[in-house]
Amino acid sequence: MQTRIVHDSVPAASKPEPVIKTESLTKRYGSIVALGELDLEVPRNSVFGFLGPNGAGKTTTMKMLVGLARPTSGRATIFGLNSHTDGRNIRSRVGYLAQDPRFYPHLTARETLRFVARFFYHGAGRALDTRIDETLDLVGLADKAERPTRGFSGGERQRLGIAQAHINHPDLLILDEPAAALDPLGRRDVLAIIGRLREHTTVFYSTHILDDVERVSDHVAILNHGRLVASAPTRDLLDGSAGAYELTLRGSTASVVPMMRSLSWVTGVQTTADKELTRVAVSVNDEARADHDLLRVVLADDDVAVVQFGRRRSNLEEVFLDLVEGTRAVGNQTKGDQTEGNETEGRQNEYIA
Amino acid sequence: MSTSPELASTTPLLPLARRTTGVRNLVRKEMGQWWTTRTWWIHLILWIVVLDVVSALVVRDPDLTAADALAEAIRTFLLMCAAAVAVGVVVTVQGAVVGEKELGTAAWVISKPVSRRSFITAKLVAHVTGFLVTAVVVPALGFILVAQTADVPSIDLGRFAAGVAVVALAVSFYVVLTLALGVLFTGRGPIAGIGVGLVLTGLFFRGMLPTALVVATPWPLGDVAASLALGTDLDFTWYVPVLINVATGAALLTIALWRFEREEL
Repeated sequence: MQTRIVHDSVPAASKPEPVIKTESLTKRYGSIVALGELDLEVPRNSVFGFLGPNGAGKTTTMKMLVGLARPTSGRATIFGLNSHTDGRNIRSRVGYLAQDPRFYPHLTARETLRFVARFFYHGAGRALDTRIDETLDLVGLADKAERPTRGFSGGERQRLGIAQAHINHPDLLILDEPAAALDPLGRRDVLAIIGRLREHTTVFYSTHILDDVERVSDHVAILNHGRLVASAPTRDLLDGSAGAYELTLRGSTASVVPMMRSLSWVTGVQTTADKELTRVAVSVNDEARADHDLLRVVLADDDVAVVQFGRRRSNLEEVFLDLVEGTRAVGNQTKGDQTEGNETEGRQNEYIA
Repeated sequence: MSTSPELASTTPLLPLARRTTGVRNLVRKEMGQWWTTRTWWIHLILWIVVLDVVSALVVRDPDLTAADALAEAIRTFLLMCAAAVAVGVVVTVQGAVVGEKELGTAAWVISKPVSRRSFITAKLVAHVTGFLVTAVVVPALGFILVAQTADVPSIDLGRFAAGVAVVALAVSFYVVLTLALGVLFTGRGPIAGIGVGLVLTGLFFRGMLPTALVVATPWPLGDVAASLALGTDLDFTWYVPVLINVATGAALLTIALWRFEREEL
């Protein structure tokens, strides 16, 4: 099953060409489908989070984009160029960070960056050294510039990996788990860098740290078992809980909850008591009426005070788990799971535009 | 990390042409691994000791006449150069491609605007240069020095150079073979096994095999080298194994380049 979110507020004719576009991109290893018919578009100057559990096909996708692996079928274009036949031209405009970056152990950090820079630029003059110094400073390795990389920790290798990916100021950065080996401070810094790079480049990065995606990504795609299960602007994905409201009330809810349940457009009410506060989740099938009437109904009850009211906003973890576990439930559904399976499918359908 | 990096550097840098293959940069890096590390002097000392010291002992053998001692020393030098250096090549070069595939540096380099052909070509250029200089040319010059200081007739430098050239071909063949095996296999075991096995089979069993088969291998190149250096006859035409090994080496290189183009990294 493939569930996709497509929010196209811009008419197709005026849409700028995506930086990355895949069409039915597929990779099989024998009978194992590592990636199945991926259709993906990465907009220019976006920070695009590519999510999925381990083994979902994220790294396979990235490797095919930079020409390290060949698609079994389908195609990918980057800057409108075919990733398979125009690989070198594409790579001259791309910076790539592998999942577990490795470098020549006898080279220092500075020598490593010089080696990489010479694939893009002439000479070894002052301009190149300046660029290297800037880049080392960007990733916080200026004080380790003359150290051979054989002594680098995982986090330092990751920083150097980001530096070498950025040394040519690429139009597109493809980063495979850029924050995975970093401590919380390092992660924060990497996310800050990614956020700033948005103005100059497109960042396509994979991760399974959902909090990071929520913080910096403006677009998200979720992959599971080699299949795309969602792709949308982050905001749309998080606002995807259509017809759900949350209230926080103080006082007795003994009368207001039955009152809400009796409304024809309310489909469900769940309460959670927390000290003197009660959190109420309300599901509705008529958002216009709920927007207009729900708060009024509650305020009409003198026994409660409304501390907070609003539409329910999902966090990415909920969305991710719903989609990833949801597809698993549907895919492995047995007769006994029928109800749960249908509910899951119903929830997923909320995301289909 | 810096919290306010200059992301849009104004530094003027001259971009390379889009069609560049990266071979120059890769050759520079591979050469650096030979000549800016201790690799070069370890090899140089090893091969001077193995080839020139042994040859010096032979050329001063008191049981031989001066002319025979020189001839035996030349034969020893060239045969050892063809066989021992071949083993050294296999041992040294076996990890050149496989090691990078295992470590992930091959994928890293290929993710840059370089051709896969350049990746292999750079290794070939660097290892052939490294071995020819440290294990063939410099020890050959050392041998000439050893012979000149011994009480033997002068070496015919033209003939000796021809013999050294054939040995250089043998060494280059083993570099190509080992790199090709590195592309075809994913572990070092088969590479070392096949490479060293080929050398040892030639040393111990080639007498049991028909000449027509032997001339199609790199085994007789040491004999060809000695024959050219000493002006002696062979059971076969000297250029037959030379041409066959040039052709085989070219075929192995072509297969390696073709296969590496399709390698999933």
